Amino acid sequence: MSEVTIQVRTAPRDRRFPTTNQTKHCWARYLEFHACSKVKGDDDPECEKFKRWYLSLCPEEWVENWDTLKEEGRFPGPE
Amino acid sequence: MTTLSQISKSVQRHPFHLVDPSPWPFVASLCAFSCAIGGVMYMHAYVNGSFILSISFFCLLLVMFTWWRDVIRESTFEGHHTGIVQQGLRFGVILFIISEILFFFAFFWAFFHSSLAPTIEIGSIWPPKGINVLNPWEIPFLNTLILLLSGCTVTWCHHSLVSNLRNQSVLSLFLTIVLAIVFTTFQAYEYSMADFRLSDGIYGSTFYMATGFHGFHVLVGTISLAVCLIRLLQYQLTQQHHFGFESAAWYWHFVDVVWLFLFVSIYWWGGS
Repeated sequence: MSEVTIQVRTAPRDRRFPTTNQTKHCWARYLEFHACSKVKGDDDPECEKFKRWYLSLCPEEWVENWDTLKEEGRFPGPE
Repeated sequence: MTTLSQISKSVQRHPFHLVDPSPWPFVASLCAFSCAIGGVMYMHAYVNGSFILSISFFCLLLVMFTWWRDVIRESTFEGHHTGIVQQGLRFGVILFIISEILFFFAFFWAFFHSSLAPTIEIGSIWPPKGINVLNPWEIPFLNTLILLLSGCTVTWCHHSLVSNLRNQSVLSLFLTIVLAIVFTTFQAYEYSMADFRLSDGIYGSTFYMATGFHGFHVLVGTISLAVCLIRLLQYQLTQQHHFGFESAAWYWHFVDVVWLFLFVSIYWWGGS
């Protein structure tokens, strides 16, 4: 039986957000993904990187809520 | 024959004016307490809350009128406000104004807490998305100039009083009150025309709590200046002794300075 190596990782440390509370980090990665995908498209590998990061950092409920707000045009962040 | 020792025993050995027994402090506390009860009832939508609040506030105004009427009687007509008593009153008014500064400090703290690091729920930006802020260079700037000018006219009044120029002191105090009323009118107009209200998120809350309480202080200051004008016309303020006017003028300058801070922080910085 071959060994399976599982790699567990999350978003890298970001010096902009040094504190324990990583709310702003999650928010920043979410915004960065959407800014990136607006320019390069959803499937670009660089944008995909931001997506993995925000999915790891952010609570699911927040992501679902923000996605819903975006669809409804009520998202408080930048366009 | 009255001896020196008899005289020295009847002279008070302290610099304070101990007033005759008065019911007004106790009555004022009753009115303030029922204002608090009425206020809480109103804010929690209890029946008759607003009625109790209005009645209590009206009674509070009556007590203020009556208590200060007594202070005027004791000072102007009975002569109890000697130089040293006045010094005590000056200290008291200064401490009161310092307490008011601390009051506004709290609202500025709240404003800067919310605006320097805006939460993600409002998009990490200030002003929050969707708030159409007032242009600071329209009515707010005009109001700044109006209050600064009123600070000049009230100082003119003081100088005229000290120089025994009655006509100028009446005119300058009248102009100060007119400017105050103009300021209030413009603020009321802005409030009615603004796109946002007190309930419009953290921006609405911080804006209206700070500017609203400032407006209330402008009202109080205007009333006290008006009382000074009435007393001036009735020859109750003299060249040497006019502390009632001086305390109203100090209060007015305080109101002006608070506005300057409001203009720079909330209107100018907070709107960009």
